Amino acid sequence: MLKILACLVIISGGGICGVLIARGYSLRPAELRSLKSALQMLETEITYAATPLAEALGLVAARADYRLAPLFEETRKELLSMSGCTAKEAWEKALLKFYPHSFLIGCDMAILRRLGGALGISDSSGQSKHLMLAMEQVEAELKKAEASALQNVKLWNSLGFLGGIVIVLIFY
Amino acid sequence: MSRVVYTLDNCRVSIMPSPWQEVTPVLPAGIRSMITSLPLNILEKLEEIRLRQNRPLMLGLADGDILLGNNGKPAAAPRDCYLVTADDIQRVTQLISGCSLYAFGEELKNGFITLPGGHRVGLTGKTVLENGRVRTLKYISGLNIRISREVKGAASPLLPFIIDQKSGSVLNTLLFSPPRCGKTTILRDVIRQLSNGIPELNFRGAVIGVVDERSELAGCFQGVPQREVGIRTDVLDGCRKAEGMLMLLRSMAPCVIATDEIGTDEDFAALEGVFNAGVKVLTTVHAASLAELSQRPALRNLLNMKVIERFVLLGRSKNIGTIEEIIDGRTMLPLPGKEVEQCLRFLPAL
Repeated sequence: MLKILACLVIISGGGICGVLIARGYSLRPAELRSLKSALQMLETEITYAATPLAEALGLVAARADYRLAPLFEETRKELLSMSGCTAKEAWEKALLKFYPHSFLIGCDMAILRRLGGALGISDSSGQSKHLMLAMEQVEAELKKAEASALQNVKLWNSLGFLGGIVIVLIFY
Repeated sequence: MSRVVYTLDNCRVSIMPSPWQEVTPVLPAGIRSMITSLPLNILEKLEEIRLRQNRPLMLGLADGDILLGNNGKPAAAPRDCYLVTADDIQRVTQLISGCSLYAFGEELKNGFITLPGGHRVGLTGKTVLENGRVRTLKYISGLNIRISREVKGAASPLLPFIIDQKSGSVLNTLLFSPPRCGKTTILRDVIRQLSNGIPELNFRGAVIGVVDERSELAGCFQGVPQREVGIRTDVLDGCRKAEGMLMLLRSMAPCVIATDEIGTDEDFAALEGVFNAGVKVLTTVHAASLAELSQRPALRNLLNMKVIERFVLLGRSKNIGTIEEIIDGRTMLPLPGKEVEQCLRFLPAL
C-alpha cells in the first residue's frame, strides 16, 4: 500500500514539474505580447502626448496586463519618491523586483535594461526610436518564444509524467 | 528650517518648506547632503546654485557667492573645491525634467526649465540650430538653479503710488532695475495685493491677467499657480508675452495686464494694443536708469507715448527690492512728498 502511494507521489511530482516547465514556455509568449503592447502605449504617451515619464508609466500600469503592470508601477513610484535616482536606476530597481515573478528570460531582460538606459533622456523622436527598437526586439523574441512553446509545451507536459513513470519502473 | 503657516480663517496649520528646500530634490544625493548641511544663515540667503561641469560648485547668496569644498563647507580657494562632475550635471538635468526631457522641448529651446514652486533652472550647453534658430540644447554642461522667493507685503510701501485713489484705478507702471534686484518678487506682490483688494487704500480689487512666459511670476506647475497671485488673477502660463497679452485682452476681460521682463519690439507693439483697449499695464524691464531706458529704440517709443504713469527704480542699496525712486510718467521727475520719502526709506525683507 505504501509502495503504491510512493509511486503515485513520484508520478504526480514528475507530472507537476513537467507542467510547471511547460507553463513557463507557454506563458513567456503571452508576457512578451503584453510587454509589446505596453511599450506601444508608453510610446504613444511619450511621443504624441509628451506626458511626463512618471505619469506615462502610471497610465501604462493602469492599462497594461496585470503581469506587466508592477514593472511600470514600481518605476513610477521610485521616480516620484524624489530620492534623486534617474529613470535608468528606477527602471533597474523595478526590473530586479519584477524578474523573479515573471516568465521572461535573460535576453528579454537585456532588451528591457537597454531601454531603461534611454528612458527620458532624449527628445520625443529619440524616445520613439528607442521604444520602437525595443518593440522590434521584443517581436523577434516573441517569434522565437512561440516556436519554442510549440515544441516544448507538449513535450514537457508528457515528459514530466513519463519521467515519473520511468523512475517508478526502475525502483519498483 | 520650515515656515509654519497658521491660516486663521479655516483653522488649518500647515508647514511650508523654505524656498531652498523646494529645490534640493533635484540635486544628486552628494551635492544635496553638502547643501542641506550648511548653516541655516547661509541657506536662508541662498539665491542660486550654479553647477558648471569640471568647475567648482558655487552658491549665489544675497551678498556674493561662495564655493563649496569637498567636505561640504565653504572653501577658501578654488583648489579645495568640490568639482562638479558630468554625472552630477546629467542627474540634475534628468531630475529637473522629471526624467522626461522630451516633454521640455520648448523649454530647452528657451534655455530654462521651471520647477514646481516657480524656481527656474537655466541651462547652457551646445545649441542645435535649424534654419538659423535654436532647435534644442545638447551636451548640457552648465546649470543655474535660481531660487524664487515669495515675500508677502514686499510691495506694500509702493502701492499708494501706483493706485489712483480718486478713480480707484491702477496706474500704468513700469518697474525697472538691473538684474537680481527683486523686480519679479515686487511685481508678484503688487499683483497679489491688487487682485485681493487693499482695504487700507479703499481699493476693492481688480481682475488681473498675468502673462507668465517664463513661469516665474505665478510659478505654475501643470497650469496651477504655485505662488499666491490673488483671487482675481488669471494666469496664462508659458505663453509668449505679445501673443498672451492680446489673448487675455480678448478672452478674460482684465482690468490690469501684468507681465515680466518686456524687451522685444513685438512686446511693445502688443502693449500698445493693451493701452488702446484702456486696460492698465504692470510690467518690468531690465535697466539701471531712466537714461538707459530711453536709449533703447522700442522703449523710447513707449516713453514718447507718455502712457506709463509711474516708473519705479528698484535696487539693492539697503537690501534686495529697495525702492530707489518713483518717477511720475507725465513730468518724468521723481515724485515729491513726505510719503514718498517714507516709502524710499522702507527696508525691504527680501
